[in-house]
Amino acid sequence: MRRISVYITSTVMALASFTAKTAAQDTIQFPMKVRIGLEAAGSAKYFFEKDRLNLEGYISTDLNEKYSFVFIAGHSNFSYARYRDTSFLIYDYRTKGFYFRTGFDINLIKPKKSQGKYAVGFGLRYGLSLFTYDIPTITHENYWGKYQTSVSSTDEWAHFFEITPFVRAEIIKNISLGWTVSLRKMIDPGTGQHLKPVYLPGYGNGSKSFSPGISYFIIWSIPFKSRRIIIQPEEEEEEDTDLEQNPGNSNTGNFRQQNIRQSF
Amino acid sequence: MMRRFYPGFAVIIISGLYILLNSCLEVACIDETEAYVKASFYSYSSGEQAIPDSITLYGINKEENKIYDKFKITPPALIPLKDSTNYSTFVIRINGVNDTIDFRYWSYPHLVTKECGYTFYHHLDTLYHTKHAIDSVSKINENITTVNEENIRIYY
Repeated sequence: MRRISVYITSTVMALASFTAKTAAQDTIQFPMKVRIGLEAAGSAKYFFEKDRLNLEGYISTDLNEKYSFVFIAGHSNFSYARYRDTSFLIYDYRTKGFYFRTGFDINLIKPKKSQGKYAVGFGLRYGLSLFTYDIPTITHENYWGKYQTSVSSTDEWAHFFEITPFVRAEIIKNISLGWTVSLRKMIDPGTGQHLKPVYLPGYGNGSKSFSPGISYFIIWSIPFKSRRIIIQPEEEEEEDTDLEQNPGNSNTGNFRQQNIRQSF
Repeated sequence: MMRRFYPGFAVIIISGLYILLNSCLEVACIDETEAYVKASFYSYSSGEQAIPDSITLYGINKEENKIYDKFKITPPALIPLKDSTNYSTFVIRINGVNDTIDFRYWSYPHLVTKECGYTFYHHLDTLYHTKHAIDSVSKINENITTVNEENIRIYY
């Protein structure tokens, strides 16, 4: 009989502590969003460099408070001429094409802080570039003199991986600004090892196996549903720190303590 | 809480714009842009590497423009091929004795870097030579590129 009462007491205590823990957890309504973005830097640069046009847009949808699915599409029209001593044309290169990138964004900010408005994280993407290029002039000069040739228009496709650290912040309601640093790793330039693309739409300098870039986005967010998220209570240390930083403002701390007492 | 959070984000967003504006700088060409035939010299009697006391080298009909003129070279000797044809002929004078070497090959453009532009690589097919000072010439690597690899051995 004494043993049974010990079991009952411990079960009641365990249940009580579980109830207290559950009640101490907080919940928030996290707005799940579809985002439509326009890359602003490529369009803006076109006003200064008419030989380089890059239009890029993206659509992403939140899968949960941390992960988003991303699809990016863009168009590039690029021409480049390289001179030596201002008059000697080493080569000129023209390319145009479409590119697509798809993958996931991972937001590292906790939902309570991000509230669907702020994001710092990174994306993992696969990129595909469908392009046409030609090299109207290649000039090479050596002991035997100057020789000029050309490469006619050729259709190719290339693919690559991309890791993109990013930052995004809502500036006004449902409008955000953000930038991404793109770290791209070539899988295959499509042109063979000798005529690697000087510029690959969606990738950048195709003569390198690694290509960094930066993009600047204006984003329109459309909330499509709310997701209830249980968040863990902040740790005691953090509360202590808050109280130390705001010694005159102890209401928040007391309120939390009252809530916990009530749930007991 | 968010009021403290927001200015930090504004700084990061603006700093991204700053990086963007500074990301379009042109870079100079620092890579090797010439694909030479790299030739080493060997003694035909011992088979050991033997640097001639004097080397003179020039393209046929280009005697006024010598590549090496009575040089004691540090091997390898660098021999430039003509891009516009599939053959190049050279006069080579080893220790005062003249020979000619004829290279047969095919060429193709190769992008060095965006900054350096294109060079021509060559694939070496056949070698012909006279036998005054030279005993024989052997192909070691038939791909003539900017990489510093021995392509032929000249035995004299």
